[in-house]
Amino acid sequence: MCDLKRTLDATGHCVLEMPSGTGKTVSLLSLIVSYQQFYPTKRKLVYCSRTVPEIEKALTELKRLMAYRVECAETEEQKEKERNFFGMGLTSRKNLCINPEVAKEKKGKVVDAKCRDLTNTAVCEKARADPGSVPICDWHENLGQLEPGSLIPSGIWTLEDVLEYGREKVICPYFAVRRMLAFADVVIYSFHYLLDPKVAEQVSKELSKDAIVVFDEAHNIDNVCIESLSIDLTRPMLDSASRSIVKLGERIDEIKTTDAAKLQDEYAKLVEGLQESEPSDEDAIMGNPVLPDDLLSEAIPGNIRKAEHFVAFLKRFVEYLKTRMRVLHVVAETPLSFLQHLKDITYIERRPLRFCAERLQSLIRTLELSRLDEHASLQKVAGFATLVATYEKGFLLILEPFETEAATVPNPVFHFTCLDPSLAIKPVFERFSSVVITSGTISPLDMYPKMLQFTPVVQETYPMTLTRNAFLPLVITRGSDQVAISSRFEVRNDPAVVRNFGSILVEYSKTVPDGIVAFFPSYLYMESIVAAWNDMGILNEVWKHKLIFVETPDANETSIALENYRRACDNGRGAVLLSVARGKVSEGIDFDHNYGRAVIMFGVPYQYTESRILKARLEYLRDAYRIRESEFLGFDAMRNAAQCVGRVLRGKTDWGLMVFADKRFARADKRSKLPRWINQYITETASNLSTDMALTLSKLFMRTISQNPNENQTGVSLWALEDIEKAQAKQKALALEAEQRAGSDDEYGDGGFSDNALMDFELDV
Amino acid sequence: MPAIVCTAKASCKKLPGTLELTDTHLQWTQEGKKAPSIRVAYAEANSLFCSKENAPQVRLKIAPVGNDAGHNFTFTSPQPIAYQERERFKKELTAIIARNKAVTPNAPTLALSLPGGPATPIPSLPSTPLPLTNGGATPKLSAAVLPSRPATSRAASVAASDRRGTPAITGNDPATDFRLRKRVLMNNPELGTLHRELVMTGQISEAEFWDGREHLLLAQAASESQRRGKPGQLVDPRPETVEGGEIKIRITPQLVHDIFDEYPVVARAYSENVPQNLTEAEFWKRYFQSKLFNAHRASIRSSATQHVVKEDPILDKYLEKDDDGIEPRRQRSEKPELFLDLGATSEDHGELTVERDITMQAGRQKGAIPLIRKFNEHSERLLNSALGDLPPSKRRRLDEEYSQIEIDDLRDEGSSNGIVLEMQDRERYFEGSMAGNANKGNVNGTPLDPRAIVWEAKNSLNDWEKNLSQLKIDRKPGDSALLSMTQNVAARLDVRSRKNDIPAGLFREMTTCQTAANEFLRQYWSATLPQPPELQTAATATPAQRASKAVKMIGYLSKTPEKVQALVDTATASGLDASRVEVAMKPVLDAVNHALVFHRNKEAAAAVRRGR
Repeated sequence: MCDLKRTLDATGHCVLEMPSGTGKTVSLLSLIVSYQQFYPTKRKLVYCSRTVPEIEKALTELKRLMAYRVECAETEEQKEKERNFFGMGLTSRKNLCINPEVAKEKKGKVVDAKCRDLTNTAVCEKARADPGSVPICDWHENLGQLEPGSLIPSGIWTLEDVLEYGREKVICPYFAVRRMLAFADVVIYSFHYLLDPKVAEQVSKELSKDAIVVFDEAHNIDNVCIESLSIDLTRPMLDSASRSIVKLGERIDEIKTTDAAKLQDEYAKLVEGLQESEPSDEDAIMGNPVLPDDLLSEAIPGNIRKAEHFVAFLKRFVEYLKTRMRVLHVVAETPLSFLQHLKDITYIERRPLRFCAERLQSLIRTLELSRLDEHASLQKVAGFATLVATYEKGFLLILEPFETEAATVPNPVFHFTCLDPSLAIKPVFERFSSVVITSGTISPLDMYPKMLQFTPVVQETYPMTLTRNAFLPLVITRGSDQVAISSRFEVRNDPAVVRNFGSILVEYSKTVPDGIVAFFPSYLYMESIVAAWNDMGILNEVWKHKLIFVETPDANETSIALENYRRACDNGRGAVLLSVARGKVSEGIDFDHNYGRAVIMFGVPYQYTESRILKARLEYLRDAYRIRESEFLGFDAMRNAAQCVGRVLRGKTDWGLMVFADKRFARADKRSKLPRWINQYITETASNLSTDMALTLSKLFMRTISQNPNENQTGVSLWALEDIEKAQAKQKALALEAEQRAGSDDEYGDGGFSDNALMDFELDV
Repeated sequence: MPAIVCTAKASCKKLPGTLELTDTHLQWTQEGKKAPSIRVAYAEANSLFCSKENAPQVRLKIAPVGNDAGHNFTFTSPQPIAYQERERFKKELTAIIARNKAVTPNAPTLALSLPGGPATPIPSLPSTPLPLTNGGATPKLSAAVLPSRPATSRAASVAASDRRGTPAITGNDPATDFRLRKRVLMNNPELGTLHRELVMTGQISEAEFWDGREHLLLAQAASESQRRGKPGQLVDPRPETVEGGEIKIRITPQLVHDIFDEYPVVARAYSENVPQNLTEAEFWKRYFQSKLFNAHRASIRSSATQHVVKEDPILDKYLEKDDDGIEPRRQRSEKPELFLDLGATSEDHGELTVERDITMQAGRQKGAIPLIRKFNEHSERLLNSALGDLPPSKRRRLDEEYSQIEIDDLRDEGSSNGIVLEMQDRERYFEGSMAGNANKGNVNGTPLDPRAIVWEAKNSLNDWEKNLSQLKIDRKPGDSALLSMTQNVAARLDVRSRKNDIPAGLFREMTTCQTAANEFLRQYWSATLPQPPELQTAATATPAQRASKAVKMIGYLSKTPEKVQALVDTATASGLDASRVEVAMKPVLDAVNHALVFHRNKEAAAAVRRGR
């Protein structure tokens, strides 16, 4: 908290690592809220988390915190002030829609499109002029009748609360939250709303500069940055885009005959310049994929101002991309060379290309197209065009005709990848004065400032004080038969390795109570190993002791499996959950207490090193930031591993086993990349074990840990108020003493006699 | 000294010795040694093996629990005698083992809760009117008697599942109650003996006997009402290969049930086809050859066996498409709790514009996806079979939202209320102590001055070092203390080394006398002392009943000294040191006398009260 305060006062950025399950979120929130409430300037807090469950959790914590503050406020005035505190969370339309017609859709994109069809300004105006002519959303309409600025009463609103309120008052929760963002003291939403320019443009534009930005669970922030500036194009996408272009053309012809004035009007507007046609941001159809600083504030070039010209322009561009995709060998080139080639073949210049996305947006609005999800591919192509024409450095174009080395049927993918995570986050650092990056596992700390190109004021990792060793990390390097185990690509499908991995699971399912979570390095490996285990009869052994749940490709299905997993753990039947280290489950789901008594990490979760994108990124990191390839790969793998195993602990009475099953975890360079709070508990003996030795240790550990957990920790690892005061007093005393010492040092510093000594001297004169 | 049921000369590990079966242990003593070197308690005996009838050596092997190697005994007497001896041992041991097997699945630790008294289990209980099926069951005395453990446990579980519906509270249904009691007695030979001696002889009534032992009945009822859960394994009938290349799958009713449960589509096919189109046997034959079966098998090898599979016009109708898409074929409509909703995250922000690399794309292994889905479904089904379906109201718990974020160790522990001390005559106690204080104050005249006390204490501690160094311990007390300790040890050694030579009959009588007295005492005190509040059920006896019971018990107890005297007399008659019997029975007598005195005082007090 002190460090955080320092950061806030200094209006700088900081990186903090706090062990998971020690109340990270609530300590952050409580300090920042106090800070906000204390200073009259009311800096806004923007709290970014990674997943919706985490957002909801953070909101709940905030709600709890505010309830406490209201309770503790001394005067009625202060109470009122606390009550007026306003916090809420934002998520997508899909999660917040309560219009039954729209909400039943499965895909977020379709929900977005349908919602826009019912709520955009044109439709609303038409409906108001002539009620009943077009379907509109009642929930959205009701919002308009309320006074803006008081759509939702102040207080803390979790996503669930907002939904409930919306249902009750028949107003649209999504737009209510969107419109109230400007009034909120705390906004909690996902990284993307701040980092992805396509979304940030619409949502986060109005945030003031002095806002405090917190990135929680930020260990993957660089990937989010990169993803938000990268686009992949595939053949089916291009086909769909050209279909959309044809449709656009037809629509233009149609409008020309019925309502030519409209097009003329648009043309006139474009001539005057884009800025005047600024639409209200709720209507924004697709954000510009380019960062705000790189936006051109010029008028759209003449050759694409006319609608039919623009359509022809798009058509040419798509055809060009299609021909590029026919190539059967891998191509990697810089955006500059791509543009040169493009110009040589199709005479498309760079400048109009930059305006592609904007122009498309304007055209779609003019044409009043509905069901935008059908035109998603075209939007993507336009975004691609804009990006490719805007950026030169830190980006690469890669064309991969085949998915894998062995594939014979071409399935070309055109990657436009961002290699530099600092690009996307730069505006955030520049715009906001305090940015806090925190997570349970962001070791080594210096990596993040290096990658994201910022200079932190404070950079700190906190240890965990425990009255007992609440978790036992074990590194298993070989099976009971002494065969080394590893998920290295060459040996991972070796029957001996598969069997040894299996026997670890079987043995642990026999000995560990309640829940066990096992993580694999990739989906591909998990799926093949599950099949292999089934054939070898290993899973039959596991069935005897525990139920088995597996992460599936479908998110909803997996959620249901998770829910059942929890029931099985609660019931005492016990269960095993097999999932993937970078997958859906590994992010944002806690396996605390009986939900995870052991986490087994099968193999080191390296990225797919054969991937050309990764190779390009590594090269870039090496050239630009002097980060060695192996160092980055190891760092990336270990932060994911730590993230997985770190989810077992929550609170100090909790306990769990952390099993790292791979030969390579024994190496010092890997272990050193684990967060300190995990690493300090790995003993020398526990760092190189065979399965049976590890089991013996685990049994021993479980016997000791299952003793009385209710021993009084107060004063040892928990502090009551008096303890804190005592510690503070001690600190103060120490500081005072040091000061005094410093003072007395000064006194004798010159080595001479003090004045007093001289005065006492009797001079014989 | 425990009674010896039978003995024989037998060698173990080629060393000659004597094998004895006492009423608690099977023991073997090496020749020339006093203490038995092998002792197997009855409760430990697990399995028994014998050599063939006409084998040259007559052998017997007994394996205790947790030691499968066991002990081998060879009967060394000449042939016909050895055989007879062995048969005798075998008969007794078989009965014991059978009883052990019957006890183990239930509650082996029940014996711990019994009131004290030496163990006197009796191998078989012929005099008990209760039909003791287990004790009497001495199954086939063939060459190897090894009642298979799974069989008995299965039987027990079946029996238990029949009475699933019976409530755990005893006393509602006389028949169930009787059955429970019988079972408890059978599982506890000691309790059975006590019951026979006291209740069968009419000394105390059945209800009185069970009064205060309800927990045994409850435990029994609870253990019986435990249902055996469904086994976790997937239904995967593995074919066995018979000679001649044929493949055989054994179909049991259990398997059929499991298959129907696991794959409702097979149940549908069965019900639609079996009587009309196909016979039952034909149906199963075709099913196991069909694509349907291969699709259901929990293996991805099924694709390899595809070519063996025959086309089947009837069953192929039921074939469903492989469930291997990214999205499941059957969409589940229910929304999970928001804290677990992974879908919400993937829909939280616009679709990813990049694809993940191929190792991270889920669902690339088409073969594994149906398998994974099957695991999840199977696990869910198992859970639902145990817990019932998840009620929809539980899905979204709004009121419990804080529980997800709370870290419980940061909460203050609520201080417990403690047990309120209930005092008789509270006022008098407080008055008394107040009066005492007042007196003290009067005596001292002034309130105590803490400083003076501290000063005094400090003064008295002055020069403590010197005092300590001057401290000398007189030699005499030290010596005497040591001497008394030595004597104590010697006495103990003496007692231990002395041979226990009380004849078996007398010994048994003594034990009986003691247990009976114990039981009476228990009954008496439970009738006299106030009952613990948690035991106050509807069935609690009225004060009048309790009083009459106490009187009755006192009547029995007052006879105890006579009985002890009789025992002492018997001892003297058989030429034993009567004092030893007296010493042995002294604690019991003391306890009885204490009860008698207490009773008399109480009576007297009551009389005085009445007199007033």
